[in-house]
Amino acid sequence: MNYFMNLVMSGLVIGTLYGMVAMGFAIIYRATGMVNFAQGEVMMLIAYMSYTFATIPGMAFIPLLACVLAASIVLGLLIEWAFIRPMLGESMFSRVMVTIGLAVVIRSTVILIWGVEPTAFPRPFGNAVIRFGDMALYPGQIFSLVSLAVLSLAMWLFFRRSRVGIAMRATSNNETTALLMGINVRRISAIAWAISAVFAAFSGLAFCLMFSLEPEISQMGLRGFPATILGGLDSVVGGAFGGLIIGVVENLAGGYLGRGLKEIAGFVLIIIVLMVKPYGLFGQREIERV
Amino acid sequence: MRSRTYQNSYAGLVALSNQPHAWVWTGIGILILALMPTLFGSFGLNMLTAIFVASIGVLGLNLLSGVAGQISLGHAGFLLIGAYAQAILTTDYKVPTLIAIFLSGLVAAIASLVVGIPSLRLKGLYLAITTLAFTFIVRHIVLFAEGITRGSAGMPVDALSVFGFSFKGDVRFYYAALAMLMLFIIMTLNLMRSRIGRAWLALRDHDIAARAMGIDLMRYKLLAFMVSAFYTGVAGAMVALQTRFINVDTFSILISIEALAMVIVGGMGRIHGAILGTALIIFLPELLNLGFAAAGDNFKTLMADRIYEVKGMMYGIVILLFLRLEPEGMAGIWRKSKRFWVQWPLSQ
Repeated sequence: MNYFMNLVMSGLVIGTLYGMVAMGFAIIYRATGMVNFAQGEVMMLIAYMSYTFATIPGMAFIPLLACVLAASIVLGLLIEWAFIRPMLGESMFSRVMVTIGLAVVIRSTVILIWGVEPTAFPRPFGNAVIRFGDMALYPGQIFSLVSLAVLSLAMWLFFRRSRVGIAMRATSNNETTALLMGINVRRISAIAWAISAVFAAFSGLAFCLMFSLEPEISQMGLRGFPATILGGLDSVVGGAFGGLIIGVVENLAGGYLGRGLKEIAGFVLIIIVLMVKPYGLFGQREIERV
Repeated sequence: MRSRTYQNSYAGLVALSNQPHAWVWTGIGILILALMPTLFGSFGLNMLTAIFVASIGVLGLNLLSGVAGQISLGHAGFLLIGAYAQAILTTDYKVPTLIAIFLSGLVAAIASLVVGIPSLRLKGLYLAITTLAFTFIVRHIVLFAEGITRGSAGMPVDALSVFGFSFKGDVRFYYAALAMLMLFIIMTLNLMRSRIGRAWLALRDHDIAARAMGIDLMRYKLLAFMVSAFYTGVAGAMVALQTRFINVDTFSILISIEALAMVIVGGMGRIHGAILGTALIIFLPELLNLGFAAAGDNFKTLMADRIYEVKGMMYGIVILLFLRLEPEGMAGIWRKSKRFWVQWPLSQ
């Protein structure tokens, strides 16, 4: 039982990372109808940038977080302005290919600048285990859990209550109509990229606080896909749940079914889920007309 | 100035080419390629062979992504399956190498049903992600099914031999690859101007409209996947025959992206584009090498230490540049320059 609980708990912790990545995918899909294949690479770039910030002497955690968030928002806006906006009106294939191209460029640039060796990330909360009854968690893991909870609550409120969030829903529903109703569609897209970069920042920081700073971070983008699909590409809060489910399933598969299954359990799961529900668990069915 | 010919029979419309000069130029082209071994050393020849082999796979991806409009990020998986099928069939089951090549393609085609069947219900991006998942799963299966695939140790591959004639050595294998590419180009040309090719084009442009016009979506989507995987599987077998040793690491996710870059750089859905794109992408690292060598020792060591990253960056930049500046790719450049010279001095 204890073994089972431990697997579930560490699955949930990994799941928070997947969840944040999935939410980053979903928000861009919601606002612009495309998938950002560079999400993992943006996460990697921000993580390396935050390492540079964190090694500045005398940097406390709150200023660090502020710096990282500011940098990520600028980065998100910059990517949107330089690469995504000029592709407006092109076919979906070329728009997605732009993000794939971008992903390769960012990954190579980061490795060329910072190198491939894993580096220990400073631990602002120390390394002491915190106990809750039977369960023991590291501060980095708690940071990750709290981040996911806060971010998904914020996103839920954002889409329900805020004007921008509602405008974003309208844009994803029908871009032309939204434009005619006076919504600034370009700004919506820019905001979506900025928010997605913020998700990347949180997930990147959480990764570094739990593990270390390494190029493997960019793999999280690919590994976050099952969560995104499970939650439904267009459901931001669904992505968070999808992440948690995938994290737990992967860990249980790895723990009970055998080695090697941990890495692919999520992918096998989504292939099965997609056969039954082609738009994911929480996704909305698209109705197409000729 | 030349005008398009007017056709008044179906046979004329579907002819491979109705213009005699096209046949002449093709003949000259093949002759030049056949004489290449006398001009180049083994390095250049190996590179040309690599281009031919990759072109087969890119033609397959082009059929799926460019012609039928289904995005695939999983072609590294099919390539991997093809290569391993070749190695396993020839070493463990003693299948003649030539037959094994086509059997490898067939194995990849059957494996493609794993992705193809979900694709019936998935569209666009969901599909791209499923194909990506497929690559991950295939790599893991190959790594962990050690009894069949030797796991991470890799496998040696027998040389190609047909009826006792061995294609060992650069020059001989060059001709084998050239012949195989010719075979697949003719196959593609024929596919494109048959009912199947036209159905794929309709499916790409609007699948629901295509369905309303009587195209069985399920059949043609699955067929697109299977044909594409067959091409890529054969390319994988040829890669195995060329390198004579295979390992899972040879077939990373980057290969899928490289292949997509080749399709985009060449021009989506164009046969000559696929080959031009492949050639450009394979030549680029060499051009870069030359440039870096000229730029000095610092750059040379950078190139040696970080070749993987430099290459990746280059693919990315090339993809971005082509998408922004020439969405029609090399095929578009070819068409424009051809029209410029044909219509000269009236061209604009």
